[in-house]
Amino acid sequence: MNDIGMNQWLAAACLLLTVAVYACARWLYARHRAIWFAPLLFAPVVLVGIVLATGIPYPVYMADARWLMWMLGPTTVAFAIPIHDQRAVIRRNPVTIAAGVVAGVVLGVGSSWLLARAFHLPPELAHSLLPRSVSTPFAVTATDAFGGSRELTSLFVVVTGVFGMMTGELVLRVLPMRSRMARGAMLGAASHGAGTAKARELGEEEGVVASLTMTLAGITLVLVAPLLAGWLG
Amino acid sequence: MSRAIRFVPTLFQVCLLAAFWLGADALARAVGSPVPGGVLALAALLALLLLGWLDANRLRRGAEWLMAEMLLFFIPPVVAVVQFQALFRSEGLKLLAVIGLGTLCVMAGTALVVDRVFRWEHRRRIRGIARRRRESLA
Repeated sequence: MNDIGMNQWLAAACLLLTVAVYACARWLYARHRAIWFAPLLFAPVVLVGIVLATGIPYPVYMADARWLMWMLGPTTVAFAIPIHDQRAVIRRNPVTIAAGVVAGVVLGVGSSWLLARAFHLPPELAHSLLPRSVSTPFAVTATDAFGGSRELTSLFVVVTGVFGMMTGELVLRVLPMRSRMARGAMLGAASHGAGTAKARELGEEEGVVASLTMTLAGITLVLVAPLLAGWLG
Repeated sequence: MSRAIRFVPTLFQVCLLAAFWLGADALARAVGSPVPGGVLALAALLALLLLGWLDANRLRRGAEWLMAEMLLFFIPPVVAVVQFQALFRSEGLKLLAVIGLGTLCVMAGTALVVDRVFRWEHRRRIRGIARRRRESLA
């Protein structure tokens, strides 16, 4: 078999392997609620291990697997449903929700920008870090405006999620706050989907506020990214 | 088999959402919109739902499936770390520090801001309700 034909088979196998490892991670995590089985951590680590061990070039891996990434587009649109479902919460506490969204976006982008400068990170990394605290479909769109790389941004979003999952509870215990809304907003704004999952474990209101804050922060960041990119350079 | 059959409506709704996104993306590109197609499509769909022109239940299963399996969609770009090995060897620890410190910063800041604003908005709402009650009694 020639190289091109071989690579086509390999690319299709990589797509199947990605789905299989993901399904396996979900199954494992459902049985043992241990953090290292969390699909967010387990699936990328196992796949990176396999790709490194077999020496499959990334372009071959991505040739078919990019169709999975393509699905992030329709997923952006799907977020209209939870916003619509939770409109009563927005109507009841519009200022609180808006405050959480604005604080989350400003602090998320601001802290990444300041820290990246303080640590003298190269521009490619610094730009890709800016949208790391919002959900991936929004982060990869915003990173285009910042001049970052979609791949690096996705990785940083995942690391942010894993970090938020590990430290969320500790921070909740340390911080003196009483309202359920603050707990939910904190988790949704700082660590998107992973934080929202944690918030759902705390209670229904925390979960709803986390999900709203995460989604609205993502939309807001995509809308203001072109303006911010001009300022932050 | 029955699970596969039950998935058909979900798949159909996913296709509808994808078509919606494709249309908005093509439109955004054609007119050079500063707002990306995904967010345009989201806003348009939300408007249709709020106006009551579209029933959320017609798309709910598809939307929930997409959001539940979202992680699968962004695993491929994460695997791209294999391309950046040299970069991570030199900057890896700094990156972890930026993400860790930054995330703690977002958590603490957002929590404190929301806690304050919520207490203020809550008091204002209670006062508003009490005032309206007094006025209706008077």
